[in-house]
Amino acid sequence: MDFKNILIAVDASDNARRAVDYAATILANAAGARVTLLYIERAPGRDLFETEEAWLGQCRLEHDRVFDFLKDARARLMAAGLPDEAISERTLLCSAEPSVAQTILDVQQEGSFGTLVVGRRGLSKGEEFLFGSVSTKLIHNARNCAVWVVQ
Amino acid sequence: MPEPVPLPPKMSVRALVEHFKPPVSVSSYGAVFTDTTEFMNITYGDVIHVGGRHYLVYGDERERRFGMEDPKFWVKRCTELESGQYRILKLEFRETFDQHIGPLTITCHRSAAKESRILKLVEGDPRFMQGVTFKDERGNLVRVLERVQGRRLDLSVEDIHADHRSYFHEIYPGILERFIRACRAILFLHEYGESHGDIRRDHLYVDHASGEYCWIDFDYGYDTTENPFGLDLFGLGNILAFITGKGVHTIQDRANADMDGPLITESDCSLFFRHRIVNLRKLFPYVPEELNHVLMHYSATSEVYYETVPELLDELEPCLDILRRA
Repeated sequence: MDFKNILIAVDASDNARRAVDYAATILANAAGARVTLLYIERAPGRDLFETEEAWLGQCRLEHDRVFDFLKDARARLMAAGLPDEAISERTLLCSAEPSVAQTILDVQQEGSFGTLVVGRRGLSKGEEFLFGSVSTKLIHNARNCAVWVVQ
Repeated sequence: MPEPVPLPPKMSVRALVEHFKPPVSVSSYGAVFTDTTEFMNITYGDVIHVGGRHYLVYGDERERRFGMEDPKFWVKRCTELESGQYRILKLEFRETFDQHIGPLTITCHRSAAKESRILKLVEGDPRFMQGVTFKDERGNLVRVLERVQGRRLDLSVEDIHADHRSYFHEIYPGILERFIRACRAILFLHEYGESHGDIRRDHLYVDHASGEYCWIDFDYGYDTTENPFGLDLFGLGNILAFITGKGVHTIQDRANADMDGPLITESDCSLFFRHRIVNLRKLFPYVPEELNHVLMHYSATSEVYYETVPELLDELEPCLDILRRA
């Protein structure tokens, strides 16, 4: 695995922004580093919305939010000194199975990423039981790579 | 669902009511509703016409918990006039509300579409309540449900007249065996990407005829999370603790009873309900270590949680063998 081949998993949250900023700081002077910003898209539950239009509207809203986030993340990495061509973005659609964490790990393995960066929400034990934690699953299940968890 | 009884042609709804003489007194026939949007206005004596059949409304269903009764205005107790059968009609009621689980607040929504999908999925499966969905003339999803011929599991367990030791050795293995089958029923939903959403001990019934367990009420939904079945696993753990303990045991109960035995602390209690004891082996030393280990996954000290039903069953099923051998 190439540890300078870096995968930052983001979800347009403040936690993800902190992860991007942390990676930008660490990688500012790292020659040869390549960064892929990965967003795993999970559509909001259809049952939550009364009409197809309302659901599609929310999907579009979230899509736009992520698009803006990725644009901002690229700008932050470039401002730290990473060249434009060293940054790429990727979005993937994920249903309930496999989980977001598993999808991230699949991408990490397929792309031979040696470093995986992710933000952490700081869930309580109860929240982790009921909702699950992407960062915890990544720590438990990642193989052949370093995992940076940014709180 | 039973086949409709052949009717004389072009009977009025009034004639239908009189023809079948439902086992209730209907002093005045109300309105016939083909649109159930304003379900609050549909009351005793009204008739809901949906799916080509007529349902005479007796009243609203009530939720009975902790000795309290809350009317559910969107759930009507009815007689299907074409067959004379008792039916429960769940009318479409979209709501989003906060559900409190211990210190956590979870946003939950009530979804007729979700329950309708599951009813179709489990058609003919006695492990689940049965029913069909029709659309009224406004497109609202009306679920026509058969009454489960049985009794709530928690009430059945509470009514067993035996001390815990006798219950645990003589009756509990059979209950656990059926509960494991009920867990497999939940796994069946999960395999189709559905969750039950509201697993509580009063949502599991014991069928009078077969003794098997039957799940009811699947209309709660939540937004997707990294652990989509976490709430169901949480509910299964609560029921497991209940049937194992033959009721809920709290720190306060124990203190009030002035019982001897090992000290019970918060670490022996549920992750979500810090007064509810899940370390039942401390109360009942004959609970096998393996079974207690399963319960302790739900304790405040646990660091590893079940995320899937197979993970739970991998550890629970061997406990049944241990109990059978004992």
